Amino acid sequence: MTRILAILLVALLPLRAAAAEGDLVRAAVEDQILPGFAALAEQAAALDAAAADCAPDAPALRAAWNATFDAWLAVSHFRFGPTEVENRAFALAFWPDPRGSTAKALRQMIASRDAAVESAETFATVSVAARGLYALEQLLYDPETGAADPDYACALTRAIAHDIAATSAAMRDDWEVRYAGLMLEPGSGGSPYATEDEALQELFKALSGGLKFNSDLRLGRPLGTFDRPRPNRAEARLSERSLRNVRLSVAAMEPLALLLADGRPEIAAELMEKFARVAERAEALAGDPAFAGVAEPASRLRIETLQQRIDRIREVLQLRLGPALGVAEGFNAMDGD
Amino acid sequence: MPTRRNFLAAAAAAALTPRLTWADAGGPGYLAAARMPGGDYRLFGLDGAARPVFSLPIPGRGHAATAHPERPEAVAFARRPGTFALVLDCTTGGVKARLESPPERHFMGHGTFSRDGGLLYTPENAYEIGEGRIGVWDASAGYARVGEFPSGGVGPHDVARLPGGDRLVVANGGIDTHPDTGREKLNIPTMRPNLTLIGLDAGILEQVELAPEMHKSSIRHLALRGDGLVAFACQWEGDLAAVPPLLGLWRPGAAPVLLLTDREDIEGYIGSVAFSGDGSRVAVTAPRASRLLVFDADTHAHVETLPIPDVGGVAPGAGTGGIVVTGGEGHCGAPGALHRMDLAWDNHLVRTGGPAPGQG
Repeated sequence: MTRILAILLVALLPLRAAAAEGDLVRAAVEDQILPGFAALAEQAAALDAAAADCAPDAPALRAAWNATFDAWLAVSHFRFGPTEVENRAFALAFWPDPRGSTAKALRQMIASRDAAVESAETFATVSVAARGLYALEQLLYDPETGAADPDYACALTRAIAHDIAATSAAMRDDWEVRYAGLMLEPGSGGSPYATEDEALQELFKALSGGLKFNSDLRLGRPLGTFDRPRPNRAEARLSERSLRNVRLSVAAMEPLALLLADGRPEIAAELMEKFARVAERAEALAGDPAFAGVAEPASRLRIETLQQRIDRIREVLQLRLGPALGVAEGFNAMDGD
Repeated sequence: MPTRRNFLAAAAAAALTPRLTWADAGGPGYLAAARMPGGDYRLFGLDGAARPVFSLPIPGRGHAATAHPERPEAVAFARRPGTFALVLDCTTGGVKARLESPPERHFMGHGTFSRDGGLLYTPENAYEIGEGRIGVWDASAGYARVGEFPSGGVGPHDVARLPGGDRLVVANGGIDTHPDTGREKLNIPTMRPNLTLIGLDAGILEQVELAPEMHKSSIRHLALRGDGLVAFACQWEGDLAAVPPLLGLWRPGAAPVLLLTDREDIEGYIGSVAFSGDGSRVAVTAPRASRLLVFDADTHAHVETLPIPDVGGVAPGAGTGGIVVTGGEGHCGAPGALHRMDLAWDNHLVRTGGPAPGQG
């Protein structure tokens, strides 16, 4: 009897392992991606409504903008499929912006009283630099931007808020109607994934790319070099969300990391510890929300430490989780050139 | 009895003969950069069977190299957005010169020589204004920077010289980047790649773009056949559920023809492209899919697809349809006779000192 059971178990093992990969993808889609994009669309719709009072310092408008940004950070690492169609992610979150294109594009629209604000369809065709969360931040938190023409700035604020809602809804709908099915049925007609492994690899890449974005760009840009720190390059520094964005974005990736480490308790424990250390360091930086401290050696060190702690998570992914999942990325495959 | 005239001719010839040629470097071979097991980087000279002849350390990750048409000399470029390039003596593996990109410019990882080898051309990013440039260096004067001209687009990546003259083909990949944001792509929604033909005395002679719905197909790599046929390979920046054909053939003056129309799964990404040594075939590497794809360069028929792990480099080889490849897991050689080294070969494999494909 025991022997029969053993044979049965051996026969069943490969099946179970194969099913598990599909289960992981399903859990990511159903528990994280779909609810996350639904929440984003909901917050963005509330932002659109809040823009009825378009004064840059209107508390309800600013609160709605912040809530929408928070909701975006919860899903912004899922940069594939629906976020990449019709440039949606760029239209919602155009950053980094090394040449200051957002401020420039808004100034131009205001100076010329660009009629694109009058129609949502036309507005959806303006430069992505003048659309999305960062464009709205510029209008809400830099009093200079719209000061010369408050009436037009009001129309522009409403047009951007409305466009953010439309873009967010489009991402949600595309996930619900099209892409969730493609991810859950690899190998089916039209699915970009031939196997469950490939769908899993997409999730792994999203996680590793999301962490890299926080380390290299959200922290790396303001850090610059020791001799030349660049505090003005901090993301969302006008609204002093720079640290908050790192904190929320990394925290949002922990459930995905733990999901991918499902069934591998040692790796999961190591990941939890590393995520906790990022959260702890971010907490300790609370007095410096826009990373102004990059220019002073003592405070700079604390910000560098935050970056290093994110990189420790990335190392666990590269050295342990990736190989365990069999999704390690090749030297050339990852190069992108 | 030697006449005065003969003597002078002999003396003049003697003054010229000490110049080394590719034969002194052991004949045609290959150059490729690699990451070593210890995490450092080296540049290798390889023989015709892709066995190492020399190697030397380089300061960071490499990308591609280009060989001087006559002298056994090659220039190896740093990975984008690199600011250095090394001029190598391929008889000894020694470094003869080091190029630094000028202020507000960085290299893109590729370059090519003029027909007579007197000038070196390097695609560069003029990153403060987001425009492409071709830098010009005097290869006969210690590689001094002597000028630059517009590449005809944004994000020029590869450049190649058309046989028989000094006309350059530039693959303007269309992607705007800035070294402050590393390799972050800044303009995907509006990118417009093109192929630009530039006459060195005449400026831009011809430009072609792909269809508007393919504007996210970044034209990045080039291969030239001896009769002037250009092969170009792309990397797709759009939805992976709708990847267009990413390999094309172009004869200046005509419209480009796209291959790969049967949608072979290459995960939207071609690493390198090369003609076979006899010019009969064109091969592309798809490192994300770990596949090498080979096509008939004239009928455009798909010949074969071979699995090679993380395959990146491909270059002309010997024999009928001969090519040589390298991969990120250390595989190298002709696809049917691969050997493996304990290192990771970088994207490109460059042939040195051989005739143009199809002219051997």
